[in-house]
Amino acid sequence: MHIPDAFLPIGQAIVYWIIALVFFALALRWAKRELNEARIPLVAVLAAGIFALQAFNLPIAMGTSGHLVGGALAAIVLGSPYGAVFILTLVLIIQGFIFGDGGITVMGANIINMGVIGGFVGFYSYKGLKAALGSPYISAGIAAWLACVIPALAASVELFIAGTFPLVPGLIAMGTYHAVIGVIEGAITAIALYLIATVRPDILELPAGAVAS
Amino acid sequence: MIELLASIERDAGGSSIIHGIDARIKLLVSIAVIVAAVAYPYAVSVYWFGLLFGGVLVILWAASRLSPRTYLQRFLMVLPFGFFLIVFQIFFKNPHYESFSPLFVLPAGMTIWTESVEFASILMVKFVICISCVILLSSTTPIHDLLRGARRLGLPSVVVLSLGMMVRYLFVFAGMYDRVGAALAAKNFHPLDASLPYRYRIRTLGYTIGMFFIRSYEQGERTYACMLSRGYGADCLDALPPKPFTAPERAALLFSFLFVVAGAVGCWVMTA
Repeated sequence: MHIPDAFLPIGQAIVYWIIALVFFALALRWAKRELNEARIPLVAVLAAGIFALQAFNLPIAMGTSGHLVGGALAAIVLGSPYGAVFILTLVLIIQGFIFGDGGITVMGANIINMGVIGGFVGFYSYKGLKAALGSPYISAGIAAWLACVIPALAASVELFIAGTFPLVPGLIAMGTYHAVIGVIEGAITAIALYLIATVRPDILELPAGAVAS
Repeated sequence: MIELLASIERDAGGSSIIHGIDARIKLLVSIAVIVAAVAYPYAVSVYWFGLLFGGVLVILWAASRLSPRTYLQRFLMVLPFGFFLIVFQIFFKNPHYESFSPLFVLPAGMTIWTESVEFASILMVKFVICISCVILLSSTTPIHDLLRGARRLGLPSVVVLSLGMMVRYLFVFAGMYDRVGAALAAKNFHPLDASLPYRYRIRTLGYTIGMFFIRSYEQGERTYACMLSRGYGADCLDALPPKPFTAPERAALLFSFLFVVAGAVGCWVMTA
């Protein structure tokens, strides 16, 4: 899902950067308000954890594999979609500047897809589903699936607008692939959230049994 | 990817003329080359751009005294998604050309288009230059030098602090990743092993990831408490001493920017 450099023309890349910076400024305001001495390790560990999660290759079918995104997990654990924006931005900075995974000019688009869309879809669908279904873990699983598939579709649309990949094959390929990865991401998010809520409930900003207002 | 972190830092800690350059200069020049490569029009003259900057990158890599194998290993690691997008270009028409002529007609109604092959090669050149810049940058600059450089260039301290902490934890994770991998291998568990029930594999991975997170968090808490006791704190980067560019550094930066602009414009004008 990481769009690499050169796949978006510079003009479009700048537009995505501007949009991403607006959300990042809001996430920065969240970070300055929320990040005290006690919370810094959580945010840093969550960022490193999501980086590591993205390094885990998961089985899909016919010998293919994919990796998790982690936006929903970050938003749910930190109790804010801006937490996901902040954390995914940190992850993308390290991936882009140290490993060359993703890119520099396209980082704005990748922040929008995985951080903004992933974080907001993951967080608000979790809240809505939890109010409707009652189960925090099923809600987290479905929210994580949505937060995996919708950013992938957004990346396909961005590549189509850039003229670097056709729309329908892009939506089919990315949508199908991430719909499968999303099921695994949903299951693993639900299990990981269950484990955290059981072993270290103090870490969760939103208690798994409660719905944030 | 995470398992390569230690080797990247080992490479970055080497000594060469490239390693010795200020992190801010390497960061700014790398960004300039990447922006130039991306901004270069989708035209075949990008081959000359690729030749010029690819040649410069080869010289800089040789000057860094790192092995070509290191470059190839890191290049192959980030290749898959970009390579997928590039390879599939050849089967599709794109809005950058007005007409398309078939190069090969394949069974099942698939066609490889001449212009799409050309477009794929243009994307490949740009992609390789961008990736190579990042590989050179991170292989010759320790991560904490890059972060301090980014802070001096104006990146907010809360971001730099979080990135610095994240990188510390990445090393914790890398060690734990190896240990968890060895434990799973010792129990003959592999997530891609089709002989194991799918639900069992997913449940095991879920618990592994949850345990991985909690153990790392608890290790992180202890590490951070130790750092606080040694005077580290949320505002410690606000006191980072300023480090103005020296006159030779300013000259090197100016020359590099002029070279990037002149190289890109020159390739475009001479082949237009």
